[in-house]
Amino acid sequence: MNKSKLARFSAFIVLLFFFIGSLFPIYWTLLTSLRDRLDIFAKVPKFFGGNLTLENYRSVISDETFISSLKNSVFITVLATFVSVLVGSLAAYALARNGRFKSRRPFESWMILLRALPGIVLAVPLYQMVVKLGLYDNSWALVICYAAINLPYSVWLMVGFIQGIPIEIEESAQIDGASQFRILTRIILPLVRSGLGATTIFVAMLSWNEYLLPLILADEGSKTLPVYVGGFVTSRTIDYGAMAAAACLCIIPIALVTLLVQKQLIRGLSLGAVKE
Amino acid sequence: MRSQQKQFFERLDGGSLKKWQIRKTGWVYLIPAWLLLLAIVLVPMFFSFTSSFSDASLMNSDSQFIGFDNYNQIFKDSLFWEAIRTTVIISGVSLFIQIPLGFFLAVLLNMELRGTALLRSGILMPLLLTPVAVGLMWRLMMNIDNGVINGTLHMFGLPAIDWLGDRNSAILSVILVDSWQNTAFVMLLLLAGLQNIPASPIEAAKVDGATTFQVYRHVILPLLAPVALVVVMIRIIESIKLFDFIYILTSGGPGTATQNISLLDFRYGFTFLQTAQAAALGIIITLSLTPMYLLWRRANRI
Repeated sequence: MNKSKLARFSAFIVLLFFFIGSLFPIYWTLLTSLRDRLDIFAKVPKFFGGNLTLENYRSVISDETFISSLKNSVFITVLATFVSVLVGSLAAYALARNGRFKSRRPFESWMILLRALPGIVLAVPLYQMVVKLGLYDNSWALVICYAAINLPYSVWLMVGFIQGIPIEIEESAQIDGASQFRILTRIILPLVRSGLGATTIFVAMLSWNEYLLPLILADEGSKTLPVYVGGFVTSRTIDYGAMAAAACLCIIPIALVTLLVQKQLIRGLSLGAVKE
Repeated sequence: MRSQQKQFFERLDGGSLKKWQIRKTGWVYLIPAWLLLLAIVLVPMFFSFTSSFSDASLMNSDSQFIGFDNYNQIFKDSLFWEAIRTTVIISGVSLFIQIPLGFFLAVLLNMELRGTALLRSGILMPLLLTPVAVGLMWRLMMNIDNGVINGTLHMFGLPAIDWLGDRNSAILSVILVDSWQNTAFVMLLLLAGLQNIPASPIEAAKVDGATTFQVYRHVILPLLAPVALVVVMIRIIESIKLFDFIYILTSGGPGTATQNISLLDFRYGFTFLQTAQAAALGIIITLSLTPMYLLWRRANRI
């Protein structure tokens, strides 16, 4: 009995150690973002307190490029997520109900390939296409690109959720004379609401975090937040306080979402590895 | 009432009413998805494929067919072999750290101690953060002069380490940051796998007098193997895709020390402006992934 208590206690201590290790970089960035230059460049690190100031945030927020990047990020994330989940749900409905139509297997293969493909492999030809079509630095082009590359997640997640709905409900609706489309919009979608929410949150997170595509396909006009934030390291003298503040502003929505709807995100993360 | 009706219709058409309807119309629901794929994946990939056999570059708009020259050039390029080596080192060492550590954490979390939910949330947090922000955070901490890591070493009278400026320590730093962010992924999936293991074989082994170690070695690990295999595969794929935080943390440097295959492709396309060569490398990467997605295809029938 005593031995197992000891084991549990040491397990707790080890987990606590990793908990602190996981959160420390976030804490440190937050602390840096709230400090003046003097404390940031202190030779002996101060782990607590000091003169806290919002000056770094003020300087980031007063930057016009930050505001326009934030707007672009929100716009692109919202629309791309909407398109991806909508298109993905339609496809998922067909796949989940086990129809053996011809295009099924090639579609599944492309989904897996797209999930595995490094972004840069697509970004090279996409850049040339976008330039040729006069869509360079166009937010709508980014919306479509984001929606497409996140399609595997929307499709796979939604397949899982739709399969969770007993098929008998659909069968009886069919017998009552409802058309397939009507069944989808009136019966399936309301029933799969929470799954739809989970998928939306996960795809939105991926879209928010996306870096490579906007780095390559956009310039100042449709710059997104990660590109703006990444821009801090390419300038000659790095303003560490402002850089930390920008990083915090970028991850605040993610941190909030992680705390509030962790279950849904976990489902997205374990996609393709764990059968439910 | 409903079920009687259903039975009646099932008798009527041999139980295939639903299947018949869906079979006929299933492909219609895929049309929007195919259109997206066509525009953003199929056409660009085809475009990449054809231009990999040409001498196209961002400077040269009227290009000519030059056969396998781009591929030959890549195979002769020492940067290519170095990038392969870097990618293999990063993904190999990362796996070596992340799989055992992730398993260890999953076992601890599976003990369901008090406060586990909170601890798990904290440990999961890095996994979801914007990779660019992760790169910045660590760049801040690993700075040689005023980073908190060297500052702490200094407090204990230890010499400073040039985390990002030295070839060997830079690659170690990349692996460290990758493990900081992604060990939680391994932990999460193995935890789900552990929780899916039925209790009865474990009970049976215990009744037969097996020690905890023996239970893990002979019952739990074999049952966990399929999940672990998929996790390894996903991690390998992700380490080939790795771009964002390396680009921010080291930009592939110092020199080319941390330039993995994705960063090299970026260099080809957007620093050297050798579009055709970048396309050819893209095709090579895609082809080299084939065993991965075949395996995944088998492991994950939708």
